[in-house]
Amino acid sequence: MSGEWMGSGHLLHLRWDLDKTYLRTEFDSMKDLIKTYRQKAEDKVAVSGARALLQALLDPHERRTRRVTFVSGSPTQMRAVLTRKLRLDGIEPDVFILKPNLNNIIAGRFRSIRGQVGYKLAALMRTYVEAVHLDELLFGDDAEQDAFIYSLYADILAGRVDAVQLASILAACKLYRQEVDEVMALHGRLYNSGDAVRRIFIHLEARSPIDRFAPYGARVVPIYNYLQAALVLHQGEVLRARDIVTVLEAMSQAGYTPERLSNSVQDLVRRGVVQVADVERLAAELGAVETTRGRTVSTFIRRLRTTVADLEHVRRASPEWLEEINYLGLYHSARFRRTRHRFFGIPLLD
Amino acid sequence: MSTVVIDTCAGQEGGREALAAAAIASLDLDVQIVVVGDEGMITSTLQGIAHDAERLRVVHACDELPEDVNVRAAPPRSSVAVGLELTARDPDAIFISAGPPGSIVSLALHTLGRLPSVPRAALAAVYPTLRHRGPNDDPFALLLDVGATIECRSEHLVCFAAMGAAYAAKISGVERPRVGLLANGSVSSATPTRVREAHARLRDRDLPFEYIGLMRGDQVTHGDADVIVTDGFSGDVLVRTLEGVAATADALIRRAEERFQWRLGVQMLGGGIAKLREFTDWENYGGAPLLGVDRPVIVTQSNSGRRAFVNAIRLGAKMQRLGVIEAVAAGAAAVAEEPEL
Repeated sequence: MSGEWMGSGHLLHLRWDLDKTYLRTEFDSMKDLIKTYRQKAEDKVAVSGARALLQALLDPHERRTRRVTFVSGSPTQMRAVLTRKLRLDGIEPDVFILKPNLNNIIAGRFRSIRGQVGYKLAALMRTYVEAVHLDELLFGDDAEQDAFIYSLYADILAGRVDAVQLASILAACKLYRQEVDEVMALHGRLYNSGDAVRRIFIHLEARSPIDRFAPYGARVVPIYNYLQAALVLHQGEVLRARDIVTVLEAMSQAGYTPERLSNSVQDLVRRGVVQVADVERLAAELGAVETTRGRTVSTFIRRLRTTVADLEHVRRASPEWLEEINYLGLYHSARFRRTRHRFFGIPLLD
Repeated sequence: MSTVVIDTCAGQEGGREALAAAAIASLDLDVQIVVVGDEGMITSTLQGIAHDAERLRVVHACDELPEDVNVRAAPPRSSVAVGLELTARDPDAIFISAGPPGSIVSLALHTLGRLPSVPRAALAAVYPTLRHRGPNDDPFALLLDVGATIECRSEHLVCFAAMGAAYAAKISGVERPRVGLLANGSVSSATPTRVREAHARLRDRDLPFEYIGLMRGDQVTHGDADVIVTDGFSGDVLVRTLEGVAATADALIRRAEERFQWRLGVQMLGGGIAKLREFTDWENYGGAPLLGVDRPVIVTQSNSGRRAFVNAIRLGAKMQRLGVIEAVAAGAAAVAEEPEL
């Protein structure tokens, strides 16, 4: 595994989760669920900066080499309203997969209603696009098991999780026979297709501790907001400085202050995801971009320079890329946390 | 929005508890947090705790600050010096530290400056009392000074009374706070000259608070006064004595629990004892605000845990929101304008 970014002319496949990743959704209680279900497309709100980032990634000039697939845990009955919401945001997904929860209820597969591993892993594998040169970027959140599922998918493609290992992981996840059969069949087809997943961005909607994602290695990048994702993608030369400005402006319009934005950059520097020198180069590039909202950008640059100056001594090593991930261990520790939370009320964040 | 500058070089676990409090505040409160300290320790600790990185900025500064340091001799990159510099630059900032109080006071006066009409700054501690006060039913009285100004003159005590009253009026919402002057008796002739003179000045004047006269140490915990004024030396001795008594009582209860015959009785009183512990637990009251400087500065005890720091952050944000510094400045100006001063 390496930290290499994509080359020119490669097909870039973007995989997005919807709730809490692209859309600001509350479904922590039954009331929230009903409210979300009844909400009109016009009332649904995207996470600040998500729309701008996705639009920048789907730049019309590059669109023929870009592909976007949404895999959401929302029920299929919400397809019309969610499609309309994406259309209102100017986003046309190539594939849009929703969870067949009604079928799960009818078939008595009640574990599948809450469980995500079988559904999402199969959906990702089914929608894999064969290409000579393929790169994938995945976007999820910390409310579900996205880091786990996405990393498992990436390692199947890279040939690091064989059929025996996968069978034991699926058994631990208590998947139904039908789901196991489908995933195993897809594994047979996709195993060792190529190390295509470049980064997995996990939106820290629940503000989970960063350490929780360390066992997945540098491929998983926990982010507090989409400016952080944009900066990492700019560093990998997937986005240009003017794309960063677009994300910056969108977040600023959504109420983000220059302090909050520059603090997010500082966070990336402290974690070693970007280096001080990269930030200084970015500040210079941003200053050269022409924009109608010049004040937002110049205030941000000024604030950014002050914030990074606080850390000029920091030379932090970048997070490591891991060859082997202990999926069973990770699954059990997540399960232990959830059980502890359910029975003893211990917060999931501790 | 307030900016809370927190020194993470002091407090329990080498400042990690201060950092944990900053992380909690970044998630729960509408404030910007600046944590000042050893960046390596801060970053590695933050990785393991839930926090909101958008609301949290880290500034590296980790020179050790000795106790009662001379301002000129203070290390320029100590967390207190750097934190106070940052506080001085931002009109909405609050500074919180569990560092050495003497050094914090002198550096705060040097960096932030004294409010106009304030001759000396005062550290104000709260202490639980039997009588509650204000619309919030606050169960504590304000005691100042508890260590910022050791040698006081009578005009300093008068200013402390005005500052304390302004603070109590804002924080506890008491319209006309009752202010008493700590003495060794209710007869002024038996008190030191500075107390006698201050008593005369406060008694013979129209004040925006109610001056209730001289009061003995035993009246402090009754809650006769909302604000008790004294010099830094006596105040520090008093507040530490009161804390010592509470700690001794707690130790005696624990000792009683060790004896089998008493254990049952202690168990039956468990609820009451827990309430008493809660009532006298200083961590519930945050820290001691330094009154008389141009920004909210809160000094917490050196062994403060995250609860004390979180409460100090809440107190600082409340001081900022309610305009306590402006009220304290106005209170001090009101007593300074009198010609006899």
